[in-house]
Amino acid sequence: MTASPLFGIPAPRLLHRFRSAPVDVADLHEVALDLLPRLATPRLRLELVRRPGAGTLLCVEEEERSQRVPLVDLADDMSSAGVPGTPAGIAAALRIWVAHRPVTDDDAAAAGIAVLDWTDVTRTAVGWTVVVARGVVTVPWAPSPAARTAELHRTRSSATGRSHDVPLEMRVEGPLALWSHRTVPVLATAALAAPEVMLHRIAGAGLVVPDIHVVVTPHRPVVCAAPGVARRLAGQASEESVTLPWRDLADLPWI
Amino acid sequence: MSALPARDSGVQTMVPHWVDAAARERLAAVVRVALDEPALHPVTTIHLQDVLTELHVAAAREAVWPASTARVRLATGWNDDVLPVRLSRDELAAVLRLPGLPGFLRSLLGGRERDA
Repeated sequence: MTASPLFGIPAPRLLHRFRSAPVDVADLHEVALDLLPRLATPRLRLELVRRPGAGTLLCVEEEERSQRVPLVDLADDMSSAGVPGTPAGIAAALRIWVAHRPVTDDDAAAAGIAVLDWTDVTRTAVGWTVVVARGVVTVPWAPSPAARTAELHRTRSSATGRSHDVPLEMRVEGPLALWSHRTVPVLATAALAAPEVMLHRIAGAGLVVPDIHVVVTPHRPVVCAAPGVARRLAGQASEESVTLPWRDLADLPWI
Repeated sequence: MSALPARDSGVQTMVPHWVDAAARERLAAVVRVALDEPALHPVTTIHLQDVLTELHVAAAREAVWPASTARVRLATGWNDDVLPVRLSRDELAAVLRLPGLPGFLRSLLGGRERDA
């Protein structure tokens, strides 16, 4: 039984999950009939397709992207993730599932933001990626096969520019500066797309740090500190992180 | 990218001491008073400065990676403001040598079990 952020259920709520009633596919069908028309837009088609003898499919189509998921599988996934089997619980989970749909090339070009993420499952290195924020959900953009190289560069460049404008909170904790986003944790690393601005704010807060290093765990607050302090922080941490000089940020690869 | 090593060889093991906010504030105050003492040995000065740094680092560690400490607090029933302050043997020794260290901090850092 694994929880899934796809439904907005945090992983450690074991007790909650054991207490939850399973999501019934008939209840999901009823909720979807009511909710999907309200989530659809002229570009986003959300339809239930009945297949006699084979169950209902939920079809999501938006420009070059499309998904088809058997409703019974979605109900099972929601149950496994601990989604409450109530109309309100199912509706909230379905809303978040739709928000996690793939990002189109146009959406990435129009609203993408550059952030850092792990380059692979071993979590030993980070690289830049483009995400699109949909409320509190962020979805990484995977360029479609049709996306040309010039468009790819334009989208990444625009996303880096947008990162400069992401409103982030800076907290000074002794010799460390912590950067975070109030509601969308993954956006914290957007600060690193404009390191000079970040350094300026740190200096403005009265924190004098020679040779600033950044400690990055994607989806978590970012920390800036002197090398020794950064080493102390990351070396005793319980989770993976990458520590690097701020000047190396621009050289990180795109994922 | 030149990621720093997680630990330097030869660095002492850092031992966590679970300390609440009030005790951390008191510890910081005692250390600051000691650092104002001009006759303090330079090596002790370095260790005590590192203790002050660790008090800040502990708070930052909690802000960035709260999950594992939250699990410990859940299991022990400790309050949310109880954090692990990780000190080396030398840093701990420097603190325990401070004449102005309150008894409760000496007990806490000296290895006695803290009250939940």
